[in-house]
Amino acid sequence: MKDGENIIRILEETKVALKAKDTLKLKQLSDQTNNTASRTQDADNIAVAVIVYSLGKILERGYLGDGLIVKRIDAVIKNIKKGGNLLTNSLKQLRAEIERVSPGMKKYIQEVFRKASINKASKIYGHGVSMENTAKLLGITVWELANYAGQTGISDSPESKTLGIRERIKLVKEIFE
Amino acid sequence: MKQKAIIFDASTLISLAMNGILDILEELKKVFKGSFLITEDVKKEVIDKPLTITRFKLEALRVKHLLDKGVLELSNEEGIQKRTQDILDMANSSFEGKGKDIKLVSAGEISCLALSEILSKKKILNVVAIDERTTRMLVESPDKLGEFLERKMHTKIISKKTNFDIFKNFKIIRSAELVYIAHKKKLVKIGNGQLLDALLWAVKFKGCSISNQEINEMKKIK
Repeated sequence: MKDGENIIRILEETKVALKAKDTLKLKQLSDQTNNTASRTQDADNIAVAVIVYSLGKILERGYLGDGLIVKRIDAVIKNIKKGGNLLTNSLKQLRAEIERVSPGMKKYIQEVFRKASINKASKIYGHGVSMENTAKLLGITVWELANYAGQTGISDSPESKTLGIRERIKLVKEIFE
Repeated sequence: MKQKAIIFDASTLISLAMNGILDILEELKKVFKGSFLITEDVKKEVIDKPLTITRFKLEALRVKHLLDKGVLELSNEEGIQKRTQDILDMANSSFEGKGKDIKLVSAGEISCLALSEILSKKKILNVVAIDERTTRMLVESPDKLGEFLERKMHTKIISKKTNFDIFKNFKIIRSAELVYIAHKKKLVKIGNGQLLDALLWAVKFKGCSISNQEINEMKKIK
């Protein structure tokens, strides 16, 4: 499946999940974008991952009352089908509309987006992209990512161990001799 | 410059700074017969950028203080930018998925490798302190990194193994090993018998890529 088709599928399923108020499904959909986002590092894939994750979090708090967001997602899908030239702008517009969807909650929703970016960055780092590179992709700082990623199990994956502890201790002892 | 150096990536300084244990570097520097170096790219990540962000401003000021005091030194080696770009190009074209190169690393961590290479050519013994996982895997086990990417991204990954030679001579340590040596040298004067455990978990929780198992192994080493 091509990456654009993948975004359409994710957005179509997002609409269904929003109508059903299925927050778990939204989280799962956002996670499905991690593989493509890590590999292509394409801004649109990353934006979709952050938006879908944020929608799940906002819905959990009951702040998505009407069908405006679903209509906006329809417009984004149409743009992708037309050729995708306006996709990045459409996603930006979608994000801006989500921020406006509940008057008085703009700051909260912006904070949800920021946290969603850190969460997605942690997933992409977990997929093997470096910390600094990932932070740049998501528009966050390495400080935020390090703080978050340190509390996940990323460093416990067996592949992370590349040199024995004794050998590495030997390196540090040698340099301090 | 003295004939030994530890080159610090942003990730290691961040682990120490966010735990409020940058003073360990000051103590280590007193017993280290060499230089603690950072590159311009790393300075941007640990000082320049966070100084503009209220949330991390204090930590950035603390790192800057170490630079101002001379505990950390900004490297002025010639040719580092050019070599950083060369290594970066190699690193970011080493793995391919679905016909496209996977951009894995950035200038910050790679500038540390470039500096290490330049110093090694001058016969200056050095190690690179990097807490983040990807660069360490690229240096120490690029084949394993390729397999890891394939498993995580659910995509066939083609590794350009001829690129790997460039990464094989670097020596990597982490903040975990730095707090270990500081502890062994009795340079950290707080706590009791649980201090090493506390230090290792602290750096892990702030991004040092060390597993629970490695922490347990490290605590047993005399």
